[in-house]
Amino acid sequence: MVPTAHTKLSFSLSPLENPILDRLLPEHQRKVLDRLSTGLPLAVTANLISDEDYWKRCCTERWQACDISNYGDSWKQMFFERHLENILKCFIPNTTDPNQVLDLIPLCKDYVRKLEVDQFLPPVQMDQEERDDLSNTGSDFGFGEVSIHHYDLGVLITALPHLEELHLTYGVKDCGMNFEWNLFNFTHQDCCNLAVAVKMCHNLKVFKLTRSKVDDDKTRLLVRNLLDHPCLVELNLSHNLIRDKGAQAVGKLINHSRLQTLDLCNNQIHHLGAQALARALAENSTLTSLNLRLNCVEDKGGEAIGRALLTNTTLKSIHLGSNNLSEPTAMLFSQVLAQNTSLMNINFSCNHLGLDGGKQLLEGLADNKALTKFNLRLAEVGQETEYLIHQIVWANREEMRLGSLQHPPAKPI
Amino acid sequence: MVTNIQVAADLREMQRRAEEAELKLQRVEKLENEAKSSTYKFEEITSKWALAKEMTIPQELWQLLNQQQQQCALLLEEKNKLIGELQQELKNKDEQYVWAIKKQSDDIHLLLERMEEQIRFMLKNYRHELLQIEKAFELERRELLDNNRKKWEEAIQAHNAQELEYLHARMRKVEEFEKQLNQLRVQDEEEYNSMKIQLENDVQNLERQLQQMKAVYQLNQEKLEYNLQVLRKQDEENTIIRSQQKRKLNRLHSLLNNLRTKLANQEKQFREENHSLAADCERITGQCKEVQRRMRHFAISDAEKFTEVWLMNEEEAKGLMRKALDADHVIHTQQLGLPWEEPRYWFLNNVGPLGHYKVKRMATKLAAEVLTESSSGGQEEEGREKEEVGSGEGGKENTAKVGGRVTPLRNISKKTAKRILELISDESGFLIESKLLRSLQALGTHERTLMKLDSIFAALEIDSEDDLYQLVDFFLKYKAQDMAVSQSQGSPGAEDVMDLAEDREDGGSGAQRNKLKSPRSSLGSLPSVYFHADDVLKILKAFVRGFDKLREKDRSAKEVLQVRDSSKDEEYWEALAHVIPEPTLKLWDALVVALEEYYEILMQRASLLAEVALLQQQNSELCLLLEEYISSGVNSKLLSPPTKWMDLNLSCPGEAQWVPRARARLFPAPS
Repeated sequence: MVPTAHTKLSFSLSPLENPILDRLLPEHQRKVLDRLSTGLPLAVTANLISDEDYWKRCCTERWQACDISNYGDSWKQMFFERHLENILKCFIPNTTDPNQVLDLIPLCKDYVRKLEVDQFLPPVQMDQEERDDLSNTGSDFGFGEVSIHHYDLGVLITALPHLEELHLTYGVKDCGMNFEWNLFNFTHQDCCNLAVAVKMCHNLKVFKLTRSKVDDDKTRLLVRNLLDHPCLVELNLSHNLIRDKGAQAVGKLINHSRLQTLDLCNNQIHHLGAQALARALAENSTLTSLNLRLNCVEDKGGEAIGRALLTNTTLKSIHLGSNNLSEPTAMLFSQVLAQNTSLMNINFSCNHLGLDGGKQLLEGLADNKALTKFNLRLAEVGQETEYLIHQIVWANREEMRLGSLQHPPAKPI
Repeated sequence: MVTNIQVAADLREMQRRAEEAELKLQRVEKLENEAKSSTYKFEEITSKWALAKEMTIPQELWQLLNQQQQQCALLLEEKNKLIGELQQELKNKDEQYVWAIKKQSDDIHLLLERMEEQIRFMLKNYRHELLQIEKAFELERRELLDNNRKKWEEAIQAHNAQELEYLHARMRKVEEFEKQLNQLRVQDEEEYNSMKIQLENDVQNLERQLQQMKAVYQLNQEKLEYNLQVLRKQDEENTIIRSQQKRKLNRLHSLLNNLRTKLANQEKQFREENHSLAADCERITGQCKEVQRRMRHFAISDAEKFTEVWLMNEEEAKGLMRKALDADHVIHTQQLGLPWEEPRYWFLNNVGPLGHYKVKRMATKLAAEVLTESSSGGQEEEGREKEEVGSGEGGKENTAKVGGRVTPLRNISKKTAKRILELISDESGFLIESKLLRSLQALGTHERTLMKLDSIFAALEIDSEDDLYQLVDFFLKYKAQDMAVSQSQGSPGAEDVMDLAEDREDGGSGAQRNKLKSPRSSLGSLPSVYFHADDVLKILKAFVRGFDKLREKDRSAKEVLQVRDSSKDEEYWEALAHVIPEPTLKLWDALVVALEEYYEILMQRASLLAEVALLQQQNSELCLLLEEYISSGVNSKLLSPPTKWMDLNLSCPGEAQWVPRARARLFPAPS
């Protein structure tokens, strides 16, 4: 067959210097793409081939589970993002060649929109044996500060113009019985590097830094760099060590950015931090979702937030689960439920609201038409109250559903 | 279901945290306590070390050291124990951690199970739903298919039937059309032939016409070309004309602007002129008034001059007349020797121009007259006579005129008039100045009334007697309107007229008039009684209102009255000229003739006398010569002297005696 021979010839000759793929007829192009090997160097294929099928083959060969919906429905994007993530996960500072990443930048910079790195390896210890010895006694100390810094993302992130999401976890996955505290050490230097990098990244919309031992100082450092960020919409600092001062810093950030979603779950925010957040919330008009799960806000903080919600009209979802809240907060929130018409989702699970608190909430909810989710599991409000509240919320949700069906009436098929 | 696990984990975590916090607190407390106690002990030990330095006895020192060692061991033991406890706790924690990991893995397993279960359930449900949907869809589809097939078949059948119908109809139509076609063909053939012939003719005609038309066309073309050229030229001309017109238009525009400015200027000028003319007009009216005033002045001066001239002429005339009369007298007495009587003529005594215009008396005078008249009739009469004498004793007519003037007032009667005037003077005292009133107190009643009236008239602007008459008339009329007594007043008025006519004839006889007045006054006094004092003011007001209008009319009337009546002048002068009557003149003529004759004779005598005188002189001369001759020696010598033979008696003195005598006879000496 002449075409195949021709294509083989053309391709085998000089794929690098003679990119004639675009000039082929569609059926020939198809044939060539179908026969291309997935093992070709990325330097050749990255900017030359835009065919989704080829990249699909690459992905499926490499990974078992491929959910394209997480990657903007693009196989090529998925391939490059996951490829980059893999490289970053396995990057060991001072050992791995930094050019491994830097070489990839020109190839993938047009396709990477999201980076989801859930592990950063610390630099390898010089003396493996010593490390083994120390591991028994808990080697929290004894390492030079310089040696334990993680990979500096600054170079990479600033070179990716389309980056919109950044999910980072400074820690080691699957360490098993090799667990050591210093595997999970997010140093100040790391934080500085990251903050500077994030500041430079103007298109960033979602920033998640979870399980990374981010404490107050680091939070403040990050917040200082994120102030007045042009695009940032979602900030997730869950599972960290943020205390009241960090929460105050985040509260300042709320009114100096376009944040819509804020997740601070599983931190150590007490009532002072919660009050700072509440003050910010009272003036804010962009935030729609706030998550304070697993903190120690307690009644003082809960009441402050409730008072803020009396004036706020944008917040739709709030999670105050596991916060040691009790009856006073419930009383205030019954007022909030009676007045506020924007709140749609409230979560009070795992608090000690008590039976009376539950009744108060039920009363407040009586005239509310906006609330569609109200989680009171394990909140000690009593089964009956929970059931009644559930009924009201279900009715609201049904109404909402019908309303949404009526308003944009389904087009006749 | 699925999130329950998370919630439960959260709760557990929270509890764990709470416990942890508690334990931590306890541990911290414990450690603190331990630290305190150990430091206390350590201090104790260290203090003993200081004591040991002071020890000098070895046993004691050894004992002490032993003690110290024991205590240190104790301390260490405690510490170790604590460490052991903590390590135990740590191990426990480790175990707990392991347990927690296990628990978490269990949880995760559970979670997975539940999720799988849910997924399975969902899948089942979805599959079931899908099946249901498919079934329903199939059913619907089948129904739709059936329906559509039925519709299709029906439509096909209907279509077939219709097609058949159409086919039949078409066949029929085709036949019909064929017939029609044949007919048409035949018809058309005939028509075609006729048409062909006609068209051929037409073609010929048209060819002819074409040629004609060509010729016409050429002609027309030429014409049109010519016209075109003409039009071009015209166009050029038009452009020229247009440009000219434009220029003209511009010029006219400029002209228009100029004219406008001129117009504005002229308007301004005219306005100024108008102003100046108005000023002129005023000036001229002023001048006119001046002229009128001057004219009036001239009239007055003319009148004066006239009277002067008149007087001069009259004097001259009278001198002449006197001379004539004297001459007549001389002629009569001396020449004719007749007795001479001086003639008596009315005009001889006239001095100044004839008084035809009315001399207006002042209203006050009249009032005074009226007042005095009624109060003392005799006095008034004397006054009147004096007046008459003043105006001229001999002038009958003059006096008659004066009488006529008084008549209107007389009409009303003295008493009435007096009554009215007194009323006025009493009631309208407010018109009199206060100073005057004070000064009036000293005077008598009669004089006071007069003075009052004087001032009242001044206030009411009543100057002449006419005005006064009008005032009194007005009073009476006013009264007459109130009371209908006009009849009784009418009859005495008529009588008065009659009386006056008599008066004129009577001349200056005042007694008769006095008699006549008495009945009149009795009649006239009747209405006067009825005037009420309160009415006077009203009447005066009405009078003053109407008076102004009347006065205006009067003015013009007075002007006319100023013109003199010169009809009598001629007569007067004629009479002056003919002061010597006709017979006397004739006598004078005859006398002149006779005297002329006499004069001639006298002249002859005079010439003769002169001749005589001449002859006498010659004679005397001759006598002298003779005497000379005689007396001369020659004579003596002469043989015979002439003296001897001549009579020398004749002498000159004898002649002189004769001449005066004749003259005395001829020319009587003037007396």
